[in-house]
Amino acid sequence: MSDAEGPADAADPLLSVEGLRKYYADEQSLLDRLLGADEESVKAVDGVSFEVAEGETLGLVGESGCGKSTTGETVLRLREATDGRISFDGADLLEMTDAELTAFRRRAQIVFQDPFSSLDPRMTAGDIVTEGLRIHGIADQGERRETARDLLERVGLSADQIDRYPHEFSGGQRQRIGIARALAVDPEFIVLDEPVSALDVSVQAQILNLLDDLQDDFGLTYLFIAHNLSVVRHICDRVAVMYLGEIVETGPVDEIFADPAHPYTEALLSSVPRVTTDERDGDFETLHGDVPSPRNPPAGCHFHTRCPEARAACRESSPPAYDVGARRSATCFRADEDHSYWGSEPIEENARTAGDDD
Amino acid sequence: MVSARVIRNLKKEFRNSALAKIGLLLVVGILFTAAFAPFIAPHDPTEQQLDQSELPPLGFSETTERTTSQMVEGEIQTVTETVEITPDAAHPLGTDSLGRDMLSRIIYGARTSLVVGVLGTLLAAFVGVPVGLFAGYHRGNVDDVLMRIADVSLAFPSLVLAVALIGLWGRAAVNIPDPFVVAGLAPEMPESFVLPITVVIVVGLVNWVWFARVARGEALSLRSQEYVKASRALGADDTSIIWNHVLPNAITPIIVLATVQVAAIILLESSLSFLGFSGTTLSWGFDIAQGRDYISSGQWWIASLPGLAIMFSVIGINLLGDWLRDSLDPGIEGEGGAA
Amino acid sequence: MSQGVRPDPALRSDDVLSVSDLSTRFFTEEGQINAVESVSFDLRDNEILGIVGESGSGKSVTALSLIDLVESPGRITDGEVWYRNPDLAEEFRASDAVGVDGDHVDLRTVPPRVRRSLRGPSFSTIFQDPMSSFNPSITVGEQIAEAVEVQRRAKANPRSTRSRTQGYGLGQYLLDGIVPGRGYTSDESVDRAIELLEQVGIPDPAERVDEYPGEFSGGMLQRAMIAQALAGEPDVLIADEPTTALDVTIQAQILNLLREVQADRGMSIVLITHDLGVIAEMCDRVCVMYAGEVVERGTLDAVFDDSVHPYTEGLLGSIPDLEDPRPRLQPIEGNVPGLVDSEMDDRCYFADRCPKAMESCLEKPAERVVDAEAEHGAKCVLADRPYDPSEALPEDHFGGDAE
Repeated sequence: MSDAEGPADAADPLLSVEGLRKYYADEQSLLDRLLGADEESVKAVDGVSFEVAEGETLGLVGESGCGKSTTGETVLRLREATDGRISFDGADLLEMTDAELTAFRRRAQIVFQDPFSSLDPRMTAGDIVTEGLRIHGIADQGERRETARDLLERVGLSADQIDRYPHEFSGGQRQRIGIARALAVDPEFIVLDEPVSALDVSVQAQILNLLDDLQDDFGLTYLFIAHNLSVVRHICDRVAVMYLGEIVETGPVDEIFADPAHPYTEALLSSVPRVTTDERDGDFETLHGDVPSPRNPPAGCHFHTRCPEARAACRESSPPAYDVGARRSATCFRADEDHSYWGSEPIEENARTAGDDD
Repeated sequence: MVSARVIRNLKKEFRNSALAKIGLLLVVGILFTAAFAPFIAPHDPTEQQLDQSELPPLGFSETTERTTSQMVEGEIQTVTETVEITPDAAHPLGTDSLGRDMLSRIIYGARTSLVVGVLGTLLAAFVGVPVGLFAGYHRGNVDDVLMRIADVSLAFPSLVLAVALIGLWGRAAVNIPDPFVVAGLAPEMPESFVLPITVVIVVGLVNWVWFARVARGEALSLRSQEYVKASRALGADDTSIIWNHVLPNAITPIIVLATVQVAAIILLESSLSFLGFSGTTLSWGFDIAQGRDYISSGQWWIASLPGLAIMFSVIGINLLGDWLRDSLDPGIEGEGGAA
Repeated sequence: MSQGVRPDPALRSDDVLSVSDLSTRFFTEEGQINAVESVSFDLRDNEILGIVGESGSGKSVTALSLIDLVESPGRITDGEVWYRNPDLAEEFRASDAVGVDGDHVDLRTVPPRVRRSLRGPSFSTIFQDPMSSFNPSITVGEQIAEAVEVQRRAKANPRSTRSRTQGYGLGQYLLDGIVPGRGYTSDESVDRAIELLEQVGIPDPAERVDEYPGEFSGGMLQRAMIAQALAGEPDVLIADEPTTALDVTIQAQILNLLREVQADRGMSIVLITHDLGVIAEMCDRVCVMYAGEVVERGTLDAVFDDSVHPYTEGLLGSIPDLEDPRPRLQPIEGNVPGLVDSEMDDRCYFADRCPKAMESCLEKPAERVVDAEAEHGAKCVLADRPYDPSEALPEDHFGGDAE
């Protein structure tokens, strides 16, 4: 595709994110500011680093409020990062001029979760799909219509549905239109922000298969954001697990699912209800308590308040990302055999609740 | 924005809705009356016939006590007698206290009321909608400042604000010669139509706030819609997003508001006319104000007939607004889509 | 005696609830919507019965129909809901209008006021969205205490809905708006609320009882809703997508809690969900719903491991498996039908999406027994005979445009 003369070295990631931070200041009115009220911020994304290689699918998985969607929108500069570095195909995204950013928009696209709010109810399917072409002034009206028909066919709709309005489509069909809209500008990279979460299971499978096919046909690179671990397992090559604005573990999907290195990943996996009738062994092993507020995350390791393995050391400092294998890392002291963690006292209340769950 | 599909929807909704037909009938009727007033009005609306004053409309008769003074044997005697005033077929809706024909006044008054109502609303919308959309879409300081200004203007009673502005600028009215009279087609009644420009500008400036607030509210909720984000991801700039996505989806409540505003502005104009600020003495509002004093003495028609005229035009405009709203909403047509 | 002598299968004494041929229709401007079409199932003592289906399958309307909460323009048009309650059976045994069979009473025939009085002490419901199930301007404790109080008053005077609200008229309501304070609830009921909150695993219940719903997290609020549902010590708990809005670790907590509550109190739970994983982990028996009908039912093992209906097979084939990532999913093509009566042909509703549709599917299939032991039944001709490709419907039988 576009990288015919580029360096195209497999080691060079298409997207690379380093130390990305996104803090939201609380809504402050003019009056608050005049009175000098203190600004309080929500640390939605707090120092996230990852890479996505060309042609691969990286899953970004976590519970609600962990900052995965914010990360997805920030790497496309739909939100402005507070701090950090994002480079796309070697270019620094945060330093781009307006013209460069416009060019970038044709290379990186996004598909949203909600098939209802993601399509303008007052535009026809054809107009929605070709919006990108209009914005970038590609092709004349007749050609655009032709492209729209092709794209609709490509995503599994019929070309004569081009003049229909979104409400005339079902959820799955609307999601297909959203995908066609992203494809129209011929991107290399697509952020898929929970693209199947709002769909029924049978339709969800259709869309997952479609995304698979499109990746092969167009040589796409995906950043797949999801909370559903089964879906992530199915579609992703590598996965990054997020908790309270941080990536706690990252690595190839098979390895992480078979042998999680971080207690949070482990808990997530054990909480998923399995669709089999064989092993019904009583209660789920899960975590106790709720996710703490990102306004005031716990000191030390963010996870220590819920972690069944937490010890006193986890309260004192936050763990760095340890390498735990090829392209695998986990931010947990347990990955470091020599760490003082092993000598410190377990946090009792966590251990007790963990025991209750067995 | 006006595609063949929109026109088809308009027709379809029109066929299906009796109310839309009534609305259109009323509005077209009133517009027709206003435009061709010189041909329709039986009398000159400004001509005073004091001997014909206070005639009731056809079908009603009125008794009044008339006091006359007579010289009887060198003394002045006042005699009070009850006389019955019968309507005159020449004045089917009666006459006012100065003997001016009510029907003609209502027909001519339609011009002022409608022109001020529609122009004032358009002006208010043209100021308020962009301001509101811009503030709501961008939020932040722009929003804060614009909305504080809006709050302040809302806090003023609109009539007081209007009077203050007119006092500041003086009242200007433009005489627009009636084309029918100029062309010699119509009898020379009032030879020109008085457009109270100040009033139009003032009611526009007083009422823009409503449009700004509604547009802002819509923009606030629309800006976080995923299709707006998708449009940004595709590289659209803010202006085109507001134009292509925010405005079309905010238009329904704005149309509804506009129909309400036309009515409110007609009423505001009538208050200004009554206070003598409008520059014209030929409007429904002016007549209502004049007629108010006569309601207690039995001449109910002077105030209530122009009142009815206002009522019918407001109803008509509102029904028309409903029809537009329903037709512009793509979700309303139930053409066998997926449920 | 009573008019409602049930045909086979006879009511079993361990059926808490036995529903037969329940139909609910919505009479909308677009026409009649057959949301629930002749649904039958039994709920036994001490079991969790799963009802699984996609959106628009009628599973939630089925739940609402059980407790008679279908709102206009919807109406239950047909069917019987047999509920086991010896007292009630005794009370109505002499009545001609009410169906009574042994200890069971047909709730469709009892007066509405009696049906209403059963909500709480007999049936309780928890919904998907705890945020909208609580009034945001009243403390959580107050709302649970209110449920306790309603039940307490109902017990003092069963069968009367009036007694529950006695002493709480318009005047009191208006006064409460001005003077804060507990108008309706008593100290005992608040204590009971604290006890219930503790039972559902809310930490520091004595303090949290005075907090407003906005101060609770989603998971905590779902726990509070369960506490509220338990206030009347019901026989049957209807859980309508209780964990759909929750994160997976919180979902696991709530599912554990439901299991615990079921075991401790010996109630029966109807668990309605779209998540086959939740069904597989929680339920003893399952009903699979499609287009308003129960298309397959039976024990969990029978339905999941020996499924007969191609829809059940399709659903199971659509889910990505956590343990075994298959390279490709086998989705069901097409979309869920719209359920408008005028558009529904008299055929198997799944035939247009079914990979094994045959000519005989153009007739409406009756329910067939697959395995009586496992109570396994399916509304599909494939229960009788294997798929015969020579009878297959041509691909474009239902029109090319798969709407």
